[in-house]
Amino acid sequence: MDVYAALQAVINGLLTGALYALVGMGLALIFGVMRIVNFAHGAFMMLGMYATYVLFTRSNISPYLLFIVAGVVLFGIGYAIYFALLRPIHGQSDFMQILLTLGIGLIATDGVLLIFGADYHQINIPLLGENFHLGSHISVNAPWVVSFGIAVVLAVALYLFVMRTMIGRAARAIAQNRYAAPLMGINVFRVQAISFAIGIAAAGMAGGLLLPVFYIYPQVGDQFTLKAFVMVVLGGMESIVGAALAGLVLGVVESLTSLYWGNEWALAVDFVIFLLVLSLKPSGIFGSQKA
Amino acid sequence: MKRLANCFALLLVGALVLCGCKGGSQQETGNTFKIGVITSLTGQAAAFGQAHKNGYTVAVNDLNAKGGVMGKKIELVYYDDQSRPDQAVQGVNKLVDQDHVPIILGAYSSENTRAIVPAVDQKQVPLLMPTATADNVIQTGSPWAFRICAGSGAYATTTIDFLKAMNAPKTMAVIYENTNFGQANGQAMEKAAKENGFDVVDTEAYQASSPDYKALLQRVKARNPAVIYFASYLLDASTLMRQSAQVNLNPQFYTSAGTGFAAAEFPTKDKGAGPYAEYTFSVSQWLPSAQWKGSKEFDAAFFKLTGAHPAYHAMEAYVTLLTAVAAINQANSAQPAAIRDALKNINLPDTPFGPIHFDLHGQNPHPVLITQVLDGQYKVVYPPAAAEAKPVIPTPPWNKRQGL
Repeated sequence: MDVYAALQAVINGLLTGALYALVGMGLALIFGVMRIVNFAHGAFMMLGMYATYVLFTRSNISPYLLFIVAGVVLFGIGYAIYFALLRPIHGQSDFMQILLTLGIGLIATDGVLLIFGADYHQINIPLLGENFHLGSHISVNAPWVVSFGIAVVLAVALYLFVMRTMIGRAARAIAQNRYAAPLMGINVFRVQAISFAIGIAAAGMAGGLLLPVFYIYPQVGDQFTLKAFVMVVLGGMESIVGAALAGLVLGVVESLTSLYWGNEWALAVDFVIFLLVLSLKPSGIFGSQKA
Repeated sequence: MKRLANCFALLLVGALVLCGCKGGSQQETGNTFKIGVITSLTGQAAAFGQAHKNGYTVAVNDLNAKGGVMGKKIELVYYDDQSRPDQAVQGVNKLVDQDHVPIILGAYSSENTRAIVPAVDQKQVPLLMPTATADNVIQTGSPWAFRICAGSGAYATTTIDFLKAMNAPKTMAVIYENTNFGQANGQAMEKAAKENGFDVVDTEAYQASSPDYKALLQRVKARNPAVIYFASYLLDASTLMRQSAQVNLNPQFYTSAGTGFAAAEFPTKDKGAGPYAEYTFSVSQWLPSAQWKGSKEFDAAFFKLTGAHPAYHAMEAYVTLLTAVAAINQANSAQPAAIRDALKNINLPDTPFGPIHFDLHGQNPHPVLITQVLDGQYKVVYPPAAAEAKPVIPTPPWNKRQGL
């Protein structure tokens, strides 16, 4: 195993990790602003994949444009779900929220199952056969690179949105103290709705970007829900920057684990990290690190 | 409080009485003869579950047109195991306790089939397995288990025989998905390879739902094997072949334990690896071009039903129902034990899947073929007696291929 193999694995890990990052940032944003652990996160990512897939098969426009439409659709769905389902249980126990988001996830998965069937689908774009070569030892597959580039742009945009815009500031204010925020004139429900919708749109767009290099079936999102949890815990609960970095770390760790220990250990290492961070950070998944 | 308890007790007794009335009598009194089927209509293995269902449907249509079984129409009661072993076990309970089927066909995967063997053993209902290739499904010693298809041991030894006939260099990497199917086939190949003087330079297990196998394939590439043997389902098989091109992995032989690499969808562009499937070798149990009588008729009926040609999984489902019905007719009884005894002695010399009878372990000795994807079609290349085409070896390296 030479140094090029390791370098190649790190590059591949970063390419996957950028998509993870987008999923994780969405979950972190939702958790930070709403204290809701969104168990339906992977299901929304799956909806983003299906939306992109349906649009692609109807229009034959590049999925690298259509994922934006998927993001808009998911934003709308998130906004509607917030007001229809999440707001009524505002302030109730965590259990209610867990059950509710789990239920939403199940309905989304089974709804897709009813409409599209259990069969899987994949798309073929010419880009899939293109590989970039860096020197004679490193090669990267073009669609992964494109997805990576777009994911980085989206992640930066999300960061700027949270740090620089009025709504982003309001969202952070709610994350810091959700009782004081309304006293400062912040419309908590509206900001939460937008944050929830954006978090879900991020997952949906990540799904759209993953579509060209993966395949879709109704349960495809489940594994990403779990990974997003790992990222959020790793990244310090509500920090979207932390979640983004954690996504990249996770991608690289998985890739290197596969290279040196074997692919069957990749998931195990993910969750060992998850458990270590959880047990070494006594604040735990529902606690606040900022007290 | 006590009254409440009494009410519950009464309800419970009532429920038990109702259940008791239902028990056993249904099969004799109903207008149809119910046969239980467990397969994966949803989840990861849904493509294969659908192939099963289509195969069974062709068989039911054929058999009912010929008068069904014991003077009744055949009715298949499906239980979808969602590609999960725990659900498959529930399926046995449901089919036996509620639907009172006297025989069960299934499941699809080796994982799920292995899971239900103890359940049918306990319920004392015969189980006829169409597609589970892990040999441990038939090695439990259960007198209720029968298998139609050839297993992991036969896959490995046939592949080795083929490689020896082709004078392949004796270094091999074994790559398998990490459930019962992959593990059994991976281990069978490691054993067969070592016994035949092959140097197994790498063994890799992987999780079948991963989007990224590039690191795994890099590991394999670093060991530089002349032969790769995959045991994969369909989605992973497609991803593995595409990414093999991406990491420029060029063994002389891409061989495989069928399944994903033998699925009808695998060489197609929409549903499989498309051009990346080209030149891969696979074991196969049956092809529409097989010489056995009825193969072409099945192919035609299947094509009429689905608009596509069948792979061996559908044929195995078809012939499994054929065998079950032959056993029921022979037993002339809807009693599970009588059907089991009929299965033990059954001898069908002339099915579209070849001759069918079961040895002492419940295994049907079925021959294995080797196919290669050539111009997007599976062509039999081994054994020579059945070959339709000459194998293309060594596999052309990715940068010399056209149309990728």
